[in-house]
Amino acid sequence: MKVLKFAIGILLGLALIATPLGTWQPAPTAGLQSLAVQLDGRKKPLDTVARETVTQIHGSTSYRLDSGDREDYLTSFIGLWFNDRDWNQEPFILLNYRPLKEQAGLDIERKYFSFRELMQSNLPVTLRQVRDKQAAEVDLSRDDREALTVADRMSLMLETVARDELPLVPHPSDIKGKWMGIPQSLDSYSVDEASDLAGTLELMKLTYAGHRAPEALEPLAQQLHTQLQQLSPDVYPSDRSLSREVLFNRLHAFGKAWQLFAIAFIAMLAVTFVPLPNWYWLTIGIFTAGLGIQLYGFALRVMVADRPPVTNMYESVVWVGFGIAALALSFELKSRARYYILAAAPLSILALVLADSLPAVLDASIQPLVPVLRDNFWLSVHVPTITLGYACFALAMGLGHIMLAQYWLSPNNKSRITKLSKLNYSVLQVGVLLLAAGIILGGIWAHFSWGRFWGWDPKETWAAIALLCYLAPLHGRFVGWVNTFGMAVASVVSFNAVLMAWYGVNFVLGQGLHSYGFGSGGSAGIAALVGVDLLFVIATAIRYKSLTSTATFDESPRGGEPSSSTSDPVLVRQSTPAQ
Amino acid sequence: MSGHHRHSSNQHPVIKFLGSIQLAVPLLGAIAAILIGTTFYESRVGSDIVQGEIYKSGWFGLLMLLLAVNLSVSALTRFPWRGARKIGFALTHFGLVVLIAGSAAVIHLGVEGMLPLRTDMAANTMLRLQGELLEVMQPDGTISAVDVARLADGTIPERTVGGLKLLDYRDRTFSLTRFKTDGEVSNPALHLSLASQNMGQSVEEWLAATPSSAQQVNLGPATLKLVVADTDADRLALMTAPAQVAGKWGTLAIASQGKTIEFDVEQSVGQTLKLSGNDLSDNIQVNVVNFWPDFRLNSRNEPETVSEQLRNPALQLQVESPTGVERWFVFGQANLDPVRTLVAGNAVDATVTYQAPTPEENVFTAIASSDGQLYYTVNSSKGFQSGILPLDTPVDLGWADFQLTVTDWLPRARIEREVVEVSQVDNSQSANAIPAVLVESPSGDRQWLQWGEPQALSNPNPDNPNGELFAIYSPKSMELPFAVALEDFIVERNEGAESVAMWTSQIRIDDPELGQHAFRKVWMNHPTWYRGWKIAQASWNPGDLRQSTLQVKREPAWVTALTWTGSMLVVAGIGVMFYGQELARRYRKFVSQFRNLGSGTAERSDAAIAPATNQSPAQQPPLDATELSPQTST
Repeated sequence: MKVLKFAIGILLGLALIATPLGTWQPAPTAGLQSLAVQLDGRKKPLDTVARETVTQIHGSTSYRLDSGDREDYLTSFIGLWFNDRDWNQEPFILLNYRPLKEQAGLDIERKYFSFRELMQSNLPVTLRQVRDKQAAEVDLSRDDREALTVADRMSLMLETVARDELPLVPHPSDIKGKWMGIPQSLDSYSVDEASDLAGTLELMKLTYAGHRAPEALEPLAQQLHTQLQQLSPDVYPSDRSLSREVLFNRLHAFGKAWQLFAIAFIAMLAVTFVPLPNWYWLTIGIFTAGLGIQLYGFALRVMVADRPPVTNMYESVVWVGFGIAALALSFELKSRARYYILAAAPLSILALVLADSLPAVLDASIQPLVPVLRDNFWLSVHVPTITLGYACFALAMGLGHIMLAQYWLSPNNKSRITKLSKLNYSVLQVGVLLLAAGIILGGIWAHFSWGRFWGWDPKETWAAIALLCYLAPLHGRFVGWVNTFGMAVASVVSFNAVLMAWYGVNFVLGQGLHSYGFGSGGSAGIAALVGVDLLFVIATAIRYKSLTSTATFDESPRGGEPSSSTSDPVLVRQSTPAQ
Repeated sequence: MSGHHRHSSNQHPVIKFLGSIQLAVPLLGAIAAILIGTTFYESRVGSDIVQGEIYKSGWFGLLMLLLAVNLSVSALTRFPWRGARKIGFALTHFGLVVLIAGSAAVIHLGVEGMLPLRTDMAANTMLRLQGELLEVMQPDGTISAVDVARLADGTIPERTVGGLKLLDYRDRTFSLTRFKTDGEVSNPALHLSLASQNMGQSVEEWLAATPSSAQQVNLGPATLKLVVADTDADRLALMTAPAQVAGKWGTLAIASQGKTIEFDVEQSVGQTLKLSGNDLSDNIQVNVVNFWPDFRLNSRNEPETVSEQLRNPALQLQVESPTGVERWFVFGQANLDPVRTLVAGNAVDATVTYQAPTPEENVFTAIASSDGQLYYTVNSSKGFQSGILPLDTPVDLGWADFQLTVTDWLPRARIEREVVEVSQVDNSQSANAIPAVLVESPSGDRQWLQWGEPQALSNPNPDNPNGELFAIYSPKSMELPFAVALEDFIVERNEGAESVAMWTSQIRIDDPELGQHAFRKVWMNHPTWYRGWKIAQASWNPGDLRQSTLQVKREPAWVTALTWTGSMLVVAGIGVMFYGQELARRYRKFVSQFRNLGSGTAERSDAAIAPATNQSPAQQPPLDATELSPQTST
């Protein structure tokens, strides 16, 4: 029965993954999407180029037209490429940093601006100052970095509009050689070949001018694809690898995963709190299907990028989301406690939704690795270990929230609180082990790469701080300074140190040797979230205090809770009677 | 357990406190708080300053020591360590002590420095260490030195070394040179104005015999020079049109064992030339492999020519003796020595002189004769002209419509240097800005010392009134026991892009002690080790691919051993502490089941242990199917 329910859960999950069915069939623009382009150090399908370009300039994968219609990235990109409208006037460029808008004299209520508006604002003046600062090697402020980001968007826009030299034409012989645009193909190919290409491109432009829909280009795009492939079949990427990447873009496995986690979460809530027929295994099945599709997405990404998927903030957020879910499932399968899924699902969903919805902060594009991360065994060991440690603490943070909610809602259900505390403790154990191992693996890598095991680099220091923030309350438990409630609070509050080590060092401090992961943005949102959460913790603590002082809820050292009479952790653990 | 109580009751209260959790928790909290504060401070003031002020400071060291004491005492006082949890606990805590000791040793005991190298320069042995020194040499030759460590606010603490008082520091200074008329020794200096009506350009420049940097000014396509002619014969030689060097590309002379052959470069590219020695074993064979009129290394670090003009002619030769083969790069510029690379065997005993053809056009040379007269020569597309250089009268240069006028002529110029902060001068100098320190000599004279510029300071010592102090503000450095030469620097780029995929330094280590050469490649994450020194790729200059900076580091082997041992102990310790009991139980269960397999009496031999593991929340009891079924069927 269990197996059957589990299987039904999996099947339900698969059914959701499979819809819409169109995902798995070739799109009406498949030929266009899978034209290979060599850009930013790798060959990729036009679909990816379109997606990355539009996301980088516009901060979103779709563009809302004046008419209210949404235009997908492929349409916007073809529009930019064939210059189908006055792009000078289109409010297409994202600028959503208030101080910069004020400085530039732009409307602070708006989020998108046209190229012309930006050029006519004070922004170019600001930019010149920033460039001077950069040239003088003066440290850049947050405002300066934001200005440079906008400048990058503008220059990408300038580069993309009417870009005839989009490198579509393969190098004739060298697999790593530089590709060229169709107008430049005469340098490497015969007049006939080059004029064939130019003819097809010209036809595409004409057709597009007539129809204004990428679908209309399909037969010509396929023809162009064949022509390009035949020019240099050994250099041109295989159809398989191109369509794999297009599938990766279209399938959007991480989006499907969070939807499944959300369904599993609701189902698990129902299983736990509503007297229903037992759907536990069905829920586990759905959750497992979510984990499965996320794993499949990872596998695709690893194949496309040809490296471990933990090299930038985006990838690590997705990886931590995966880690939380995977750890929760394995704990759940051991304990059947339900709370692991309940704690993990919202966090995995949060991680995956954030990864999806903040393309300007978390860049999903696949870039060639910076040299320091390249050719590296330690990268693929250290980063997954340490981020799995973060995932553990995230899970403990989720459990901590459930515990605090428990104190808030039914403080007298002591057996549930004790059970939750045990669940939480076993997660913290794994977290401490993984984080300690991750820090040490990082030290070993640093020994090889930077020549020293430990050097108080901010990323190192913050990883150590995070560990200390857990070790202090864990040790405090042994002498009765921290009780069950205290551990719940610690699980929530100490996670801020993990956030700082993971995100803050790269995005807030912006200092140190881990500079290849630096970025900007998102800090206000995270600060707000952390602030609200801390208020919740404080409110719960006040309520807990008032409950304990009125003696309706007394939590003197009990089972599982070491007494304050002795300072020996090991001893206490063994001598306290079982609960 | 009772054993422990006996122990703890016997312990001295101080020892007990030192090993207690009551000390550990506040200590961990304090360390965390200090580290948090430090990282935020670091994001404001930079890494160098917090390294000095906090991480390498004495009080931080004491804090770490206290942590190590707490860890060791806590582990020692809980002896004997019985059971997996206690063993794990002891392993972890001792491991942490070892790790802290190792990390401290890494930070404090290692020698680390940067080794700047260039493909067109000889092997380097001078390691540039972190930090700066102010060194003062007394008239009697004794040298004293002091660290110049900056504080967070950019100032330096006031200190005295060798009678000099160190007062102030500026990050970005620039040295302005002025010429005054009241010099005591001969030092000709000219103030020139160069103007073109057609181009609407006008430039003013100083030329002077000293400092040597003022002897020549390069103005894009044209060069202005000042030469002092001590004798009339010298002056006449300078003013004679240069003899045409034979051959379009000049001549090359190779000398070995007192014999020389000379040949025309243009005629010999691709040819093999022979220089027969006194006997057969001295024979030298030279193959002229390549010639570049305007040599440079391209982005792939391959030699190429920028133009067909003879601006920077260079030759590649393969020089073979019966015992060895060398690859030579020979340059036309007089100040560049040939770059010699040993390809096989022993070094070849030969020297080469490359007489490059007549140098580039558009050179104006002012000649100051010993009798205080000024002459000039100009080499332009219109040919060579020379004559007396008049004051305040324009001279046609033959470069477009450029005219040159001497506006000031100081035969005995006195150099006045002033060190100014960059913000006070125009920004065009900011690229050349260097740090400087302000020092006060015993006589009360204040002077700015620029980084790397030795200077003499007056010293009114009554015993030695003529004695001068010499001071230099310079980087700390040390000499390596071997020399490292950059043979090649290879930059790989991502396909079709300018972004860099990897850079690799191909180095040669010359070891005079062992009398050997080692050829190594160094790239990111792939350092090389040589006699205990780790040599790693540090930085490079995207604008000049002939240079590469390597990080050279040595830490005693025991330090590495400490960190690695500590690492293993900690990870193993945590694992044993949390999971040892459980794993041991499973192992025993597995063994007993295996033993009982034949007898058919599968009883739980671990029944006595299992309840104990259920006791604490720390150890999740292993839940097997029988225990679980009631929970899942609610």
